Amino acid sequence: MPGWYFDKKELRNTPSAAAGLDYKTEMRYRKEGARFIIDTGMKMDLGYNTTATGVVYFHRFYMFHSFQQFPRYVTACCCLFLAGKVEETPKKCKDIIKIARNLLTDQKFVTFGADPKEEVMTLERILLQTIKFDLQVEHPYQFLLKYAKCLKGDKTKLQKMVQMAWTFVNDSLCTTLCLQWEPEIIAVALMYLAGKLSKFEVMDWVGRASKHLRWWDMFVEDITMDLLEDICHQVLDLYSQPAPKSPSDSPPPSATKPHSPPIQSTSRQSNGSEKIAHISPESLPPPLNTRIPPPSEVPQFPYQTFTHAPPPLTSYAPVSFAAPPVNTPPPMAGPPPPVAPPHLAGPPPNVYPPYVGHPPPFTPVVPPPTGPPPYFSNGMPPPTPGHRQYYPPP
Amino acid sequence: MQNNHHSGHPNSAMNMREKEKYIENFNFPFCEESSKYQKLAKIGQGTFGEVFKARDISNPKKFVAMKKVLMDNEKEGFPITALREIRILQLLKHDNVVNLIEICRTKASAANRYRSTFYLVFDFCEHDLAGLLSNVNVKFSLGEIKKVLQQLLNGLYYIHYNKILHRDMKAANVLITKNGVLKLADFGLARAFSNNKNGMPNRFTNRVVTLWYRPPELLLGERNYGPPVDLWGAGCIMAEMWTRSPIMQGNSEQQQLTLISQLCGSINPQSWPGVENLELYKKMELPQEQKRKVKERLKPYLKDPYAIDLLDKLLVLDPSKRADADTALNHDFFWTDPMPCELGKMLANHTQSMFELLAPARRATQINRHHSMSRPTTSAVQDSGYQDRVF
Repeated sequence: MPGWYFDKKELRNTPSAAAGLDYKTEMRYRKEGARFIIDTGMKMDLGYNTTATGVVYFHRFYMFHSFQQFPRYVTACCCLFLAGKVEETPKKCKDIIKIARNLLTDQKFVTFGADPKEEVMTLERILLQTIKFDLQVEHPYQFLLKYAKCLKGDKTKLQKMVQMAWTFVNDSLCTTLCLQWEPEIIAVALMYLAGKLSKFEVMDWVGRASKHLRWWDMFVEDITMDLLEDICHQVLDLYSQPAPKSPSDSPPPSATKPHSPPIQSTSRQSNGSEKIAHISPESLPPPLNTRIPPPSEVPQFPYQTFTHAPPPLTSYAPVSFAAPPVNTPPPMAGPPPPVAPPHLAGPPPNVYPPYVGHPPPFTPVVPPPTGPPPYFSNGMPPPTPGHRQYYPPP
Repeated sequence: MQNNHHSGHPNSAMNMREKEKYIENFNFPFCEESSKYQKLAKIGQGTFGEVFKARDISNPKKFVAMKKVLMDNEKEGFPITALREIRILQLLKHDNVVNLIEICRTKASAANRYRSTFYLVFDFCEHDLAGLLSNVNVKFSLGEIKKVLQQLLNGLYYIHYNKILHRDMKAANVLITKNGVLKLADFGLARAFSNNKNGMPNRFTNRVVTLWYRPPELLLGERNYGPPVDLWGAGCIMAEMWTRSPIMQGNSEQQQLTLISQLCGSINPQSWPGVENLELYKKMELPQEQKRKVKERLKPYLKDPYAIDLLDKLLVLDPSKRADADTALNHDFFWTDPMPCELGKMLANHTQSMFELLAPARRATQINRHHSMSRPTTSAVQDSGYQDRVF
């Protein structure tokens, strides 16, 4: 039985592709669907966990069905509806549809048919069977926070780095990364990226052992630089995609804004030898979810909240979820200070120079794997015989 | 494979009829059809549906229990309670927790309006503890009782360690295989909990746990509860191993509290600091001047002094002072002679499945009152040497 991770070839050989959809368009549909789930979730005050779970269901669904046959926005609603129940933050189907109605153009809402609720309900059974009732999904967020707690260094800089990494994790939902790599690896890669962009070099960390070349060696084994670079580029590529030209096919207005021209430096070779450090910071457009809300209506949604103020790494404020999900979400900081997200202005202009021409002194031990990575056995060894801990003690 | 209905136009979504056809023909790779199992008999009624014993057609020696997910009257699609149970069962993999094999579906067709019925499929367990206790011919030695309780507490230790509350501990939800392996079952009311040290109290529903096994904190309206609720049930079950019937059979929440006070002593801020803050503390009638009689009243049954001491530590009014699973497992009761011993040999004398549902009159009142079970109508079947008595 296949797992939920696919190699790049499989990602190009989806049911949609088999039915004639080109890869670029499929990626755009995936991005739009994910974006729509994030926007709808945000409007409904659903937490980042619920939203991310919905997005993962969405990506998995289209590994078995085509976009041609299942319109993406109906599927997106259904995924969010199911994720709400699974993560103990249930929302009524009709309320989700109401939000969708507001977010979508008439033309797009037509796909919901005469009885939108019935449409979503029917799809829920298909969705459940398609995702094998694998309801529990883990996301990079929790690992990001866990790892960040171990890093030593300037607190302000660390905070900034975590904040940027968090934004990258948000945006990574719009890619197919969750179909390729475990959340732990995505977290490491995007912290690596954020570290570079925010000029936070990790020199020391809690629990360091002599065999650890990099801080992440403590958490995941055998990550190669090529792999990290590849993951980072998949996220960075999001920012280099021009806005769709045809207005009829464009994503919901709230989700897009014109992006800067494509970054030439991201035209990377297939061998993955190009390093992130070669991207000019000035050309890095803002991440996708940087609609600037007026300070008065800063959304409560953690995505945005965190973009403004990531949680302090030492002390956590209460979670505001009515019913905590099985996986206690990392508690969020209180109301964010009304400051503009730092990444709006892009990383500081002098982030790069120190790195240019200084690729990390790190030689990959093994070539980057093509299939599902061997880094984690899905059944982690139990701490004591017969006991398996699923939730790390807080 | 699945694209045979695709019309070729990239934006032509299916209409309802095409979708129905698509569902009928799509071979969901991960969700097999329930027809791979042959239903044999109805063996119970869970929190959200009927339970059947069935045989794996491709492996006729393999028996399973199939729990139907009731989806009628569901305005919000697949029931959240079923999703919760599935998710929890998928997480919990332990010898003393019932094993969820898979989730099956009936094929969607015009006959079911293209709506599959779903079944949770479990490893089959021959007995449940309530059924065994109701059979006077089943006699447990002290070592065997220790084995039962040790496995029960092991299961609880494991689920609590994984931050899950069972919330429906009772003898009928404790299954035992013919080899004597105990399995906690029916996670239909279970939920995850977190240690709320961030200052935000939990607001769980207190309408959980079958009345006779419900701990005093729930009866007094506590919503910020935790693992001790399951340990109270474990205490009730422990006593039942000797008394053979539930020890406190109240017929109302008020009466249950009275019975608890009569056994465990008066409920007041002296015996239980903070109890005065519980929502129903002033609303319920709490008999005062009651002496604690746990040891006195149960000594004639339990006899073993270690057993009485452990029971005394489980049936503690104040949940914060109640023994947790780990403490209970370390109690001398489990580490003194006679040591816990295997149940398989004793159970080998009994070749008839014993389920509470199938037991004659003993628990009829309990069944009717608390879980509105209907009597099954399936006829008896014979297989694997186990006869399922059904009425």
